[in-house]
Amino acid sequence: MTAHVDMPPVLSSRMPLGQRIAENWSAWGSAALGYIVLGFIYFPILWLVILSVSAEPLTGFPGDWTLQWYDDMFFGSGQREGEAYGGNFRIVKPLLLSLLLAVITSVACMSASLAVGSVLPRIRRRGPFLMTFLLPLMVPGIVAGMSIFLFFRVGLHFKMGLWSLALAHFIWAFPFALLAMMVVASRFDQRLLEAASDLGASKWERFWQIEVPILKPGIFAAGFFGFLLSFNELPFSIFMRAGQTTLPLYLWIQSGAHNTSVPLIFAMSTLITIASIFLTFVAIKVGFSEKK
Amino acid sequence: MTIRHGDRSGGLFGGGLLPQLPGGIWTLSGFTTFWFLGVVLPLIGIVIFSFLQTKGVKIQWDWSFTAYEKLFFYGGGNLLERTIRIAATMTVIELLLAFPFALWLAKGAKNNTLKLITFTALTVPFFLSPVARVIVWRSVMSIQGLVNTALLDVGIVSEPVEWLIFSDFAVHLGLLGQYFPAMVWPIFLSISLIDNEYLEASKDLGGNRWRTLYHIILPLSLPGIVAGIVFCFVPMLGDTVVPQQMGGGNVLMISHNVYNMIGARNFTMAAALATIVLGIMLAFQVILWAALRPMGGLSNVFASLNR
Repeated sequence: MTAHVDMPPVLSSRMPLGQRIAENWSAWGSAALGYIVLGFIYFPILWLVILSVSAEPLTGFPGDWTLQWYDDMFFGSGQREGEAYGGNFRIVKPLLLSLLLAVITSVACMSASLAVGSVLPRIRRRGPFLMTFLLPLMVPGIVAGMSIFLFFRVGLHFKMGLWSLALAHFIWAFPFALLAMMVVASRFDQRLLEAASDLGASKWERFWQIEVPILKPGIFAAGFFGFLLSFNELPFSIFMRAGQTTLPLYLWIQSGAHNTSVPLIFAMSTLITIASIFLTFVAIKVGFSEKK
Repeated sequence: MTIRHGDRSGGLFGGGLLPQLPGGIWTLSGFTTFWFLGVVLPLIGIVIFSFLQTKGVKIQWDWSFTAYEKLFFYGGGNLLERTIRIAATMTVIELLLAFPFALWLAKGAKNNTLKLITFTALTVPFFLSPVARVIVWRSVMSIQGLVNTALLDVGIVSEPVEWLIFSDFAVHLGLLGQYFPAMVWPIFLSISLIDNEYLEASKDLGGNRWRTLYHIILPLSLPGIVAGIVFCFVPMLGDTVVPQQMGGGNVLMISHNVYNMIGARNFTMAAALATIVLGIMLAFQVILWAALRPMGGLSNVFASLNR
């Protein structure tokens, strides 16, 4: 099945016309298929936004534009039409908890990836360290989440709570933060530190005036990864909740249990998605201007 | 100030700088200890756990395969087979779609604006809530949903198509968009690291495009392909949202049963299921190492990013 696999037309000008057309076709085919799959990602997002401002989102058809669901979500939940829509939709507490966790995870990711990322490139045999730190990427979230739950709750009889949620979110986000940091940190010229110490800079001066400014894009990326990955995290949270409900967890439970809250879930998901996209754009923009 | 060069010969630390920064080593070993306690020990614990029994939340230390026997007695075999089949099928499909796309993106696409938009489009979904991305499919694919209404109106079908949602097909469809960027990114990175001169050299030596693809691009992008397979296959095995939203109880995957077993305090059975998944993961890691070895290991992949 290599029908669309193709050498790109890098040197197309030297080729016979027939071959050039064939190459163009397979290049176009490759690109078109890729964009079709991207459509499968973006169509649901777009459709979600459209349905969230429609009066009857459950039928799956847009129309009769209304902001009713946004209103219900924050203010009048359960008031309208008795119990029919979102009788028990309580969004504010999960939202605040998720924001708190995201901030904790973000700060933890920034400091940990700075600490590890500034040491790791100086070590000759860093492969085993990297493999260990990136281990959560190789294990499905539910398995890793369950292992933490069984170890601390069943094995050591700890009580789950905010700390376990924060720990799990950190473990989930840190590998990504470290990867981002390593991309920046492996470019770091160690001779700068040597030069600084030759010029009489103390340990802290070297850290704050050389390492931190140069690694700033990595720190920024780590914080960004920590924030958004924690904010939208679900598989770990399911094990760690112990009475606490994060926003994705809340939406997940609601979407499984009551069909009637679906309009409110659409509205909330739209808000989260728009906020996440906005943050990502800001991050990409800042990331690009950092490079210049 | 003394700079030691003695440990050049295969010692843990290269260069002469570390003696000046003892704090760095303490930080690293402290964090590594923390990581062992939080990640590695629990994973080892889960394997040990799967051979034990529990009463409530109390562990009973007698070793047996009871959990595995119970797991397979209650249909765990089917569950694993279905989960692995779905994840493997979708990984192959993602690879077949992502490789040509990544190749085109890395070496074919000329328009920088288009490339930037595409990179952004491939990055953004990673940060979105999976629940938000999947839930709307239900209203698109349901009996009176968008697709069925369109099909009925056009007259392609006379009755609503039922297998569009809560079916095997729906789960595959839901996974397709969800994991596409995870496959494209690593392959794109590895292909864009291939020097254009290699491709020209191959051409000059008379290799046609298929031979260039097979002998140059494919071997050099192997680390990316392997990474892509891992980043797709692994999270797909444990996907929580898609089977629940798109399978609707008809297509159960391991995530569903893991949560049910934990909820029912069937800890050892859940641990047994997780151990089997971990075994599959371990096999994957070995393959990853083997594939990355010719490239000089994981750390050299980062070093090669500098070029």
